[in-house]
Amino acid sequence: MRLFLAALAVLLLAAPAARAEDTLNPPHWQSEGVFGSYDKAALQRGFLVYQTVCAACHSMNELHYRDLTDLGLSTAQAAAIASTVKLSTGPATLDDIFKAPAVNASAFGGALPPDMSTLVAARPGGTRYVYNLLTSYQNAPADVTLLPSHYYNTAYPGLQIAMPPPLKDNAVTYADGTKATTAQEAADAAAFLTWAANPDLDDSKEIGLRAVLFLVFLTIIAIATKRKIWRESL
Amino acid sequence: MSEQTSWLATRLPVAATLRAQVMGILLPRDMPYAATFAALVTGAVIFLILSGAVLSVYYNPWHGFDSIQFIIRDVNYGWLIHGFHETGTTMLFGAMYLLLFRAILHREYKAPGELVWFLKLAVLLLLLLTGFLGFTLADGAQSYWSLQNAALAVSQMGGLPGGLGNWFFGGPAGPSTLARLVVLHTAIALIVVLVLAIHLAAKRAIARIPGRPVALHPYYTSQYFVAFVVFCLIFAVLVFFAPHLGESRLNLVPADSLVVPAAITPPWYLLPETGIANTAASAMGHLINFLAAFAVLFALPWLDLSKPGTPPKFLSRVLSYILALDLIGLAITQTAATSILTGILSVLFTAWYFLHFLVLLPLATATETN
Repeated sequence: MRLFLAALAVLLLAAPAARAEDTLNPPHWQSEGVFGSYDKAALQRGFLVYQTVCAACHSMNELHYRDLTDLGLSTAQAAAIASTVKLSTGPATLDDIFKAPAVNASAFGGALPPDMSTLVAARPGGTRYVYNLLTSYQNAPADVTLLPSHYYNTAYPGLQIAMPPPLKDNAVTYADGTKATTAQEAADAAAFLTWAANPDLDDSKEIGLRAVLFLVFLTIIAIATKRKIWRESL
Repeated sequence: MSEQTSWLATRLPVAATLRAQVMGILLPRDMPYAATFAALVTGAVIFLILSGAVLSVYYNPWHGFDSIQFIIRDVNYGWLIHGFHETGTTMLFGAMYLLLFRAILHREYKAPGELVWFLKLAVLLLLLLTGFLGFTLADGAQSYWSLQNAALAVSQMGGLPGGLGNWFFGGPAGPSTLARLVVLHTAIALIVVLVLAIHLAAKRAIARIPGRPVALHPYYTSQYFVAFVVFCLIFAVLVFFAPHLGESRLNLVPADSLVVPAAITPPWYLLPETGIANTAASAMGHLINFLAAFAVLFALPWLDLSKPGTPPKFLSRVLSYILALDLIGLAITQTAATSILTGILSVLFTAWYFLHFLVLLPLATATETN
């Protein structure tokens, strides 16, 4: 594991990464809004959080290691990251699915950690829900009796969640020098999961903009043509 | 003309037929853009058949959810084709509901338009069935439980509906059910094209020959082109900037036979029909409500007591608009969280729907005629 993290840190350092402005006060993500796109530095940091923390319990069965090239990593870098993951068949390759954790069915009081491939798309609130969930652990009020092995979380429906608080300050060491506060880790993990649920957002916006511009011009031409034809009929 | 063409033309005069169909048709001068809805519906159906053909190459009913994820993530431009098919459905039903609303607003169902009206309703019924089957193929939590409910409901009915339902679904939702529904989804979509062609022929048969006509081409082809491009523009905005519009987010959770969603929401185009069906308690009641909702639509040419050919007056126009708002309201109650208020509202909206067709419309049209 330590070897893996060291390799990951080196690789992420080598990858092009831009320092973003303060995205935590108030929390916002570059992917939000009509013209939003992914902040690849945040995605890479989020992948580090996922791989270090989340992957211990959560599977991502729809993703392959080759998909990491979307985060701005080269094929060689993605292959190097994959090769540090030990599967039962040997080191993982680019075409392997993200390693699924072996979670005992009786762990967490029987609450199975959900697969995270489409989590952001499937939850109301999406990115913000994940961020709020990860940062809203509190001590239970005096009049609340918690279920066995549950935790008080104001962002979770029903307020009691079986997942222990997963993040703490400096749970990871970011290669780009970003300070690894709990909020920063939560924001990056939310960004990564947003990408995982909708990896084609950037392509979609880029093609969409061209298509819409083309169709706006075509509309103008079509209306002009129609008016000219009808003028001649009178 | 070249030797080749005349050789073919003498044996199969398809070019001449096509020319007569496009050039020879004479139309009145004052057709609005709203008259293009039927063409847009046809275009959308063809577009969905083409994009669906691409999806069907990769879709695997034994792993429905995973294979759609595979299409989105790993097939070249699979996300785009999938988006085309999903959002194309929204465009299709948008055009279809506008087509029906316009027919009601302009009394197109009155003699001699009854058959054209029936064919429009047949297209709607087939499209709703195709849409529902396509929705179940997504194999998410919402799809799975909608299918489970539908299949269980028909199997409880017994008799002919139960037998037909069992044949249709092949039992409750299992892997082979989806394989069967892929075939039916495709087959019914192709039948829609056939019914649309019959609808066009029936519409042309009763078309009145106008006083100072213009030819379809180039006058109305240019108008159709404008409508088509604007339709595409709206489609492009939705598909690229608002994907999954009108779909429950929960459908992006894989189906799980042990986890039932708190609320099962069908896609938006089925919401008014679901609202009417859900006011009954039993499976048979749902079916009867649904059939009754369509029965009043089929009876519309005779429930409307106005003389054929008279344009609707103020009162019946207002009633038509209220009916549209009523159905939109009914759809909203189905998406809102279940509460006493939404329960009461959906019963009221359903009651208004039947009141409109069985009482208010006959009264209004009878008084307007006198």
